[in-house]
Amino acid sequence: MPQPLAPKEAAQFRTIIRSFEDKQYKRGLKTAELILKKHPKHGDTMAMKALILNSQGKSDEAFPLAKEALTVDMKSHICWHVYGLLYRSVKNFEEAIKAYKFALKLDPSSAQIQRDLAILQVHVRDYQGYIQSRTAMLQARPQLRSSWTALAIAHHLAGSLTEAEKVLTTYEETLKSPPSRFDVEHSEAVMYKNSIIAEQGDYQRALDHLETGAKHNLDRLAVLECRADYLLKLGRKEDAVKAYRLLLDRNSEHTLYYEKLEEAMELSPDDVVARKAIYDEYAAKYPRCDIARRVPLDFLSGDEFRQVAESYLTLVLNKGIPSLFANLKHLYSDSFKKDTLRELVEKYLTSQDVDSESKDKGEAAALYYLAQHYNYHMSRDLVKAREYVDRAIEKDPKSVDFHMTKARILKHEGNIKEAAEMMNQARRLDLKDRYINSKCAKYQLRNNENEKALKTVGLFTRAETVGGPLADLLEMQCIWFLTEDGEAYARQGNTGLALKRFHALNNIFDVWQDDQFDFHSFSLRKGQIRAYIDMVRWEDHFRDHPVYTRVALDAINLYLKMAEKPSANGTNGTDEEDALEKKKAAKKARKEQQRLEREEAERQAKQNPNKGGDKAEDAKKKDEDPLGLTLAATTDPLGEAMKFLGPMLQVSPKSIEAQIVGFEVYMRRSKYVLALQCLNRALGIDAENPRVHEQVVAFRKLLDNPPSDLPPKVVETLKAEFKPVDETADLSKYNEAFQAKHQASPLHVLSAIKARLLLGVDVAKCEKEISSLIEHASATFTDAVAALETLKSWRSKETDAFRTAALAKWPNVSRLSE
Amino acid sequence: MSNPEDASDAPPPPQSAEDRKAASALAALDTPTESSSSASAPTNLDQEAVSKAMRALNTAPGASATAKKNVVKVDAADVALLVDQLDVTKSKATELLKAHEGDAVAVMRAVARG
Repeated sequence: MPQPLAPKEAAQFRTIIRSFEDKQYKRGLKTAELILKKHPKHGDTMAMKALILNSQGKSDEAFPLAKEALTVDMKSHICWHVYGLLYRSVKNFEEAIKAYKFALKLDPSSAQIQRDLAILQVHVRDYQGYIQSRTAMLQARPQLRSSWTALAIAHHLAGSLTEAEKVLTTYEETLKSPPSRFDVEHSEAVMYKNSIIAEQGDYQRALDHLETGAKHNLDRLAVLECRADYLLKLGRKEDAVKAYRLLLDRNSEHTLYYEKLEEAMELSPDDVVARKAIYDEYAAKYPRCDIARRVPLDFLSGDEFRQVAESYLTLVLNKGIPSLFANLKHLYSDSFKKDTLRELVEKYLTSQDVDSESKDKGEAAALYYLAQHYNYHMSRDLVKAREYVDRAIEKDPKSVDFHMTKARILKHEGNIKEAAEMMNQARRLDLKDRYINSKCAKYQLRNNENEKALKTVGLFTRAETVGGPLADLLEMQCIWFLTEDGEAYARQGNTGLALKRFHALNNIFDVWQDDQFDFHSFSLRKGQIRAYIDMVRWEDHFRDHPVYTRVALDAINLYLKMAEKPSANGTNGTDEEDALEKKKAAKKARKEQQRLEREEAERQAKQNPNKGGDKAEDAKKKDEDPLGLTLAATTDPLGEAMKFLGPMLQVSPKSIEAQIVGFEVYMRRSKYVLALQCLNRALGIDAENPRVHEQVVAFRKLLDNPPSDLPPKVVETLKAEFKPVDETADLSKYNEAFQAKHQASPLHVLSAIKARLLLGVDVAKCEKEISSLIEHASATFTDAVAALETLKSWRSKETDAFRTAALAKWPNVSRLSE
Repeated sequence: MSNPEDASDAPPPPQSAEDRKAASALAALDTPTESSSSASAPTNLDQEAVSKAMRALNTAPGASATAKKNVVKVDAADVALLVDQLDVTKSKATELLKAHEGDAVAVMRAVARG
């Protein structure tokens, strides 16, 4: 039981609660002190004080105090509730749930605690617990519709669809009269119920429900789409045809409707004539419709394709629509279509009646198309691409698009420096265009110009944000910029700032996860149930976003590099050099930090007269480590890498890159079973990958001579589950065979050389072999960059000679001169 | 980015139970989140039907716990081995061992197979 207070103190205690709710923390603390002066061992007051301290960001003081409060008053639900809130704020949900449950045991009638518990349970996906909590909440407030809906959601998420439907029906039966047609909450609940019926696979009942209950539903489009879908699934083809035609009349640019219409009309995919007829019909009906003209290009072939493509190209080129190439490039996987499109545009270009005066139509558009055609990776010929883009620019020297394409061509030539300059030139042609601004910043980052890029994007960020453009980009979760910025720093060896960005990105993903917290109650209140269910399901796999994998790979590769060369006060020459360099870098970083602090101080001095009150918030926002020095100084880079590796392997097991770095990390951490898991998965994805080959050799070598401290059970496991190379096989011969098989691919040869070094071949010999890769018949500059990186990582004396030779062959490639 | 105007970031703390009157007053104060949407609903509700529905709900079979007892002896040394080798928690390691009849090598082989 909470300790009783005299009436005066009890009133004061309520003031504390009020102050806390109003975020008047200082006043709350003051009142708490007043009570504590009289009753120094009053648990509830201590707990409230802890809660307020925590909200002020002093969680290191809050936790001990909350614990103390619990020891003096074990039976107070307030103390336990606060304890739970503190744990929740540090995201220790498991402990928070335990504390809430205890608080609830002490005061089963508290709606507050019950609700906090329920939200946390769905947050951690404890659906059975959530069902219990929601049932209890429904019993407390059966008159609220949202109580019922919430219980239905709980059952739905837990997978019991019939139970969910039953709850919704039970509620509907309690209504005296049907709700108004304009009751949005009801309208949404009906559609939600319909989706649950459909999810059970009972389409007939879903259709009936739709036609009776949802006749006047406010979400017209959803009703029409569901209806068409159910009809099709029920095999009522004729009705389905009508339903999809109705949808097409609403929106004739929706590809899916056409596909479903074909399905409903039972057209075989080979019946191109009938299929074409549908599209022609809509093209005639809606003269401005693009999809109806474009989609037939996907399934037509031969002369028919040529005909349709020609009329489509002529139409669009005459209009000068800039997205033409982007809309057609997916056809390029078919080499006949690829060539035909090129021929047709060339033919168009030479025909007599082409508009050669216009800046963006006719001839100019055709030149632009061909420039993009030859720049595209499946039809690349950069010399021709340049020729066409220059001709296009001649037509319109002020075109942003043409200059942008020229910058892209330069990038593909490897000339990142000039590409960035060209992109900047394009940007200057239209200073108000945010797209080209972003593009320019990205190219500047590729060219390792972090500050310049920040200035460029800074033209479009909110000017008044404290902390400048970067703070705004962080707040706006501008993922592309942070990724490119981090990668640029990583290339320049600025580990601190690179890690800083990668961790910031990781935090953004965490924020996405945390963001759902508010929606568990918000969506219910607003009645947006279908969207909420979608969100919950998305949250369960959102880290499979390709950007997460990219960032995680960047960060892990950086940590692997750090693990490679611990900052030992080495004895040999290179290490000393390294240490010296490190000292220099540290000094530079310190200076940079001082400069930033000075600027910050100046800015605050300027701002303070205007608003003096927000100091507490400023203090909270202040970044303790703006340059990421503490991140870079970690003594356990591999442990840090795990923060990225764990989630990535879980959500993107099909990424070979993820498995490859996973192997590297686990090998260095001596977690051989897990390393083998990555290796086996990588082999399953692509057994011929050059990096995987290196790893197979490395692992075989490990097994031939397992570390003496490895437990016998582990050795047994590894020997049993490692299968690519037999125990008796000669590894060197295996490696030679691999090289012979892939002689045509420079990257495979490079890997074979690296494996040779591993097998004890003399370094100098391997270096020589790498150097000779330049002469390889199919070597490109990307191969040369990979070879250069290898030499660098070996700290080879050949590095400079190789660089010179490579630059002689590929003079404009920026990455070679870095 | 969305920022619903929910108060759940700073849920109001519970009321003092010792002062009953104040408690009920406070309870009315700090329950805005769920009740705000109810304003229109109650009048349209058949209270009797609600209570009937509630009774039906109570008798509805709950989630039947199908916890089957697994009587597999697990060696503490094996648990420690898995915790170290597979980067898992103790409880997860125990669970894995139980699923493989206490055979640590079988667990590790299943993991390594990928």
